[in-house]
Amino acid sequence: MKTLHRRKFLRDIGLSAAALPFVSGLPSLFGDTLSTGRKQRLVIMFTPNGTLPDLFWPDTTGSDFALKPILQPLEAFKQQMLVMNGVCNRVGGDGDNHMRGMSCLLTGARLNPGNIQGGSDTPAGWSSGISIDQQIKNHFQSNPETRTRFGSLEFGVAVPNRADPWTRMSYADSNKPVAPIDDPYQMLGKLYGQMKDKASVVSVLDDVSANLKKISSKLSTEDRAMLDQHLTLVREMEHDLENTSTTELAHPEPELDPEIELVNDNTPQISRMQIDLLVNSLANDMTRVATLQFMRSVGQARMRWLGIEDGHHGLSHEPDENESAHEKLQRINMWFANELAYLTRRLADTPEPGGDGTMLDNTLIVWVNELGKGNSHTLDNIPFVLLGGGAGFNMGRSLQFERTPHNRLWLAIAHAMGNNIDTFGMPKFCESGPLDLVS
Amino acid sequence: MGNFVSNSAPAETSSDNKRAHLPLLFGLERSMFHCDSVDPILSVLTVRIHIQFWPIVSSLSIAIVAVFHPASLHGEEEVAVQKQRGAAIYRSQCAQCHGASGEGVDGEYDKPLYGSRSVEKLADLIGRTMPEDEPELCVGDDAAAVSAYIYDAFYSPDARGNPPEILPARLTNRQYLESIADLIGTFTDYQPEGNSERQGKRRGRRDESVPDEIKNATEGLRADYFESNGMNKKDKRSLQRIDPSVDFDFGEGSPAENINAEQFSIAWSGSIVARETGVHEFRVRTPNGARLYVNADLKPGDSNYRDDSSAPSQTPLIDAWVSSGEMREETGRVLLLGGRRYLIRLDYFKYKEKVSSIRLEWKPPHGDWEVPARSDFVPTMVSRVAVVNAPFPADDRSLGYERGAAVSKEWFNAVTAAAIEVATEVDDRIDSLSRSRPDSEDRVEKLRTFASRFVSLTFRRPLTAGQQRAFVDTKFETAETPEQAVKRVVLFSLLSPEFLFPTLNDRESPDAFDIASRLAMELWDSLPDETLLNVAASGGLDDISGVREQIQRMTDDPRTRSKMLSFFHHWFEMDGERDLLKDDQVYPEFNPGVIADLRRSLNLSIEDIVWSENSDYRQLLLADSLFLNDRLVLLYGNADSGEPSEGFRRVTFAPAERSGVITHPYLLSAFAYHNNSSPIHRGVFLTRNIVGRPLKPPPVAIEFKDGEFDPSLTMREKVTQVTRDNACMSCHSIINPLGFSLEEFDAIGRLRKEDNSKPVDTTSDYTTDSGDKVTFTGARDVATHAANSPTAHQAFVNHLFHYIVKQPITAYGKQTPGQLRDQFEKNEFNIRDLLAEIVTVSAIEGTNLEIRARRSKYRQPKAHTASTHPENL
Repeated sequence: MKTLHRRKFLRDIGLSAAALPFVSGLPSLFGDTLSTGRKQRLVIMFTPNGTLPDLFWPDTTGSDFALKPILQPLEAFKQQMLVMNGVCNRVGGDGDNHMRGMSCLLTGARLNPGNIQGGSDTPAGWSSGISIDQQIKNHFQSNPETRTRFGSLEFGVAVPNRADPWTRMSYADSNKPVAPIDDPYQMLGKLYGQMKDKASVVSVLDDVSANLKKISSKLSTEDRAMLDQHLTLVREMEHDLENTSTTELAHPEPELDPEIELVNDNTPQISRMQIDLLVNSLANDMTRVATLQFMRSVGQARMRWLGIEDGHHGLSHEPDENESAHEKLQRINMWFANELAYLTRRLADTPEPGGDGTMLDNTLIVWVNELGKGNSHTLDNIPFVLLGGGAGFNMGRSLQFERTPHNRLWLAIAHAMGNNIDTFGMPKFCESGPLDLVS
Repeated sequence: MGNFVSNSAPAETSSDNKRAHLPLLFGLERSMFHCDSVDPILSVLTVRIHIQFWPIVSSLSIAIVAVFHPASLHGEEEVAVQKQRGAAIYRSQCAQCHGASGEGVDGEYDKPLYGSRSVEKLADLIGRTMPEDEPELCVGDDAAAVSAYIYDAFYSPDARGNPPEILPARLTNRQYLESIADLIGTFTDYQPEGNSERQGKRRGRRDESVPDEIKNATEGLRADYFESNGMNKKDKRSLQRIDPSVDFDFGEGSPAENINAEQFSIAWSGSIVARETGVHEFRVRTPNGARLYVNADLKPGDSNYRDDSSAPSQTPLIDAWVSSGEMREETGRVLLLGGRRYLIRLDYFKYKEKVSSIRLEWKPPHGDWEVPARSDFVPTMVSRVAVVNAPFPADDRSLGYERGAAVSKEWFNAVTAAAIEVATEVDDRIDSLSRSRPDSEDRVEKLRTFASRFVSLTFRRPLTAGQQRAFVDTKFETAETPEQAVKRVVLFSLLSPEFLFPTLNDRESPDAFDIASRLAMELWDSLPDETLLNVAASGGLDDISGVREQIQRMTDDPRTRSKMLSFFHHWFEMDGERDLLKDDQVYPEFNPGVIADLRRSLNLSIEDIVWSENSDYRQLLLADSLFLNDRLVLLYGNADSGEPSEGFRRVTFAPAERSGVITHPYLLSAFAYHNNSSPIHRGVFLTRNIVGRPLKPPPVAIEFKDGEFDPSLTMREKVTQVTRDNACMSCHSIINPLGFSLEEFDAIGRLRKEDNSKPVDTTSDYTTDSGDKVTFTGARDVATHAANSPTAHQAFVNHLFHYIVKQPITAYGKQTPGQLRDQFEKNEFNIRDLLAEIVTVSAIEGTNLEIRARRSKYRQPKAHTASTHPENL
């Protein structure tokens, strides 16, 4: 884990209170979207190292199904959920299963040959294709109605500070990985930094004015001219920053606890901070596409906050018979499900800004994993779970597919978001078209 | 000749079509229309003129030349008419508030109407803002007429009979950038051989001493070659040496003995010297993995020995760490200030790819893609230099040199953005800048000390108790955290006039710290260093010898070299973007690489002369050699050019062939058409910049239409034909002979014997400014004339003064230009001595220090000195 020193200062002067009035003075911050249609959003959440099939997949299909323990934290959202068994990452090619599981997950395309060696198989490089989140981003950004300031935001939680096919799932293009930001303070800076900078300036402009007046009074008329101009400009900026119109953010900027160090043991707090920022950025329409990446493929997080000292990846290798490991993995995966539930709850509790219903009604959350099962490294039966009404799918069901390429899931989501592409990733896996999740 | 302001009339009244050509022509604007009314020695105007000239050069493909429009023969009358009209408008619309002669009216506008704007800027201001209640009443030609009238009637310094004054000034953009770099630089101290060595020891790796080859090297990059072992990309160091650059093709083989060809790793580190200020592009080309850091603030993770470390690290400028089975080329851009060193580090590894190769290239400003030379690198690392990226609006150049003449909203926004940028950088680096850690017991004290020192440096003097309280202590009392206090201190001080207006304090009573500030501004365009501040504090600048001692010390500094090089670029009109490209049918060899090499060649010539022992100005004009590299030898070399070799070498020519900078191919190409020489552009350049004579503006421009001439004519014949009119010849009798003297050089500056299949003719008669008639037979005659011409010497003195001091030279006494020129001659035209004299004159202005015999008698020194201001000491 990172050990960045604490950055208390990032919580600059009175954030929301001081910052709000001049938000609208910077309209470019928030894009120029005033769309009339419904805002569709896509959020993809990743957790690593496979699941425990026996504690994950419902025993029955259809709309009448019971949630197994790992999914139980999501019980409240069962009617807005699709559990999709039988969807497989069949891309193949260079790289070990973790690499392909991670970097082909959202792309459906093979890895380029390369110089990164896994624990087995051949070395490989970055993905050779764009990922679905970036595809939808490009689609939204190409239309003024759906364009937002950022287009997409990539959140991370405890992602190690290194760039390789195990740590990147989002790709702008072949060989163009998009790095997640796993420092909430850095993300806050990205979202609101400009405002905070201005706020910092406001905090000293008074002093600057006072000092200018003091000096100016001692000068001769001719020498004073330039200084007086300077003073005028300082005042103009004060005025601009303080008295712009009163449009407000739909949701105030979240206040982050300034004391959280970016260390492993603070992961639960960091996770919640990131989720709060994510929901906030969606609520303020800074973006309509977001990813949330927990750790990385082969991640060895030691979840001491769950009383587990072992590394996650190590545990995931243990045979099914190892009951202790099994029990720990259940707790780990339930913890992830809990974070997903928190995200879902936040969206469900937030009324759709300027629209009807809640934000969850207009958001599709996709929970993904790079493996189906940790100790077999299979890329089959990846635990895909969909939540929310953003795609217009027929929710509240448990579905069983027959070794279906996951490319078809991404096609279905692209189509649901209005992006009617014929193929996504490797064309041969798209021959049967998008999965039908509507009827 | 009377008042040449009159000639502005035709420009005003000519058709739009003609007017459109005017700025392309000699860059004329009305601000320059009174050349003749000014003492020719006072080449403020000369300077002003040539600066306007350069934009044309970039548009040389539009061939243009000046001729008189018949109507303009009456130009003076027309201007007189314009001024009469302006006077009438002034009486009816302006005099009510400003008084009949601009003296002001009580209760209306009570300040006298005078200032330092050019005629054009004044017209612009009037057009936009006057009369105050109804600005649309006086616009366009009316505003121009009023401006033309009041400028000479009472507005301009000349009209008032006053010498120009030292004007209040803000930092120029260059001064801002250099100041910030030095300000932050004061707090950094990088241990060369730092990170990787220490890290290696800590990790218990081999504790070998650095080989002498590396310890003693002054050029090239330090290279560490490692064997790899799977994921561990730097398993064991096998080789340490200096590489001249990074351009290797190992094929399927190994880079060194004992290294397995299948997997290995190399780290190159050191620093790279930026030749000129501007955006530098870097490019890495490899089928393997590579990361490039330039001007980074290295963190522990950047020097790791394992590629899977999660330690915090800098974002590389280029991250090409993961390969893709094919050759990749990735680029990154970074702004660097000229004359400074920047950390560079390139990490490279191969893992099982079939082949391995790596090349590092850069494209410096005004340059072309190239593998940097050994001499561009120094094998030791340096701390990050703080380079402000916020874009600034261009500085005022209406007087011919960049100066901080005015503040504008755009400028203030830029300064604010820059202050935020610096505050953010300070924030990011606060631990190392303040030498403390967040959990240090003395954290608050360390930060407070940092803050005080920071403000003191920005203000260029020790803080008074009041300043310490206002700028530092109150911030620490009110901020939530000491780090936030530091941020506010940085913002506050960088937005304060004490920093932004360096001349503010010294207008009335300059003290030792003002002298220090002037020295640093003039020699470095930057802040005083701590040595200089200490000298000032201890009385070391209280006598003239102390001042001179500091000038001597400071001149021997890369920042002075950088500023002097910028000066020469300014003098030779090499600053700004300029398109030297030629017709590639006629000059297929003249590609961007050659142009980049020529610029380096000219830079080398300049620096060779300026920083040689004699520093002889005349050598700039008379040297018979060029610096050429292999590529240039092919185009410009002679039988004595020597064997192919690395870098540039001095190649000597017959004296008749090359004569100093005026025959340097870079300038010859710059002042030429895209398919032939241009005696007019060359002639104008020589007249204004080298010989130092002011030129009147051509009142009307027409295009030089190459196709309309008899196709058998030479360029000289065409120019002669198109300028044969008597009216033209009042200037072209000067311009043409000078320009024709360079007809021996084609559009890319190669020697030629023929133009259009006829022998070139470089001989002309020329009348000097003192009325003597001389015959020039070629470039060397012109160079020799200039090298011995007091007019040329004076022009050079004035030009250097204005660039260095950024104030009008006569503001320092009417006799100052002549005195400096005399001294220049006495000192055998030593450029560095002249620089020192100029800086001395400016530094002690208004103090009671004197340079005997060179101070003008009528300017009484002011009484205040440093010693009378104990609170500042």
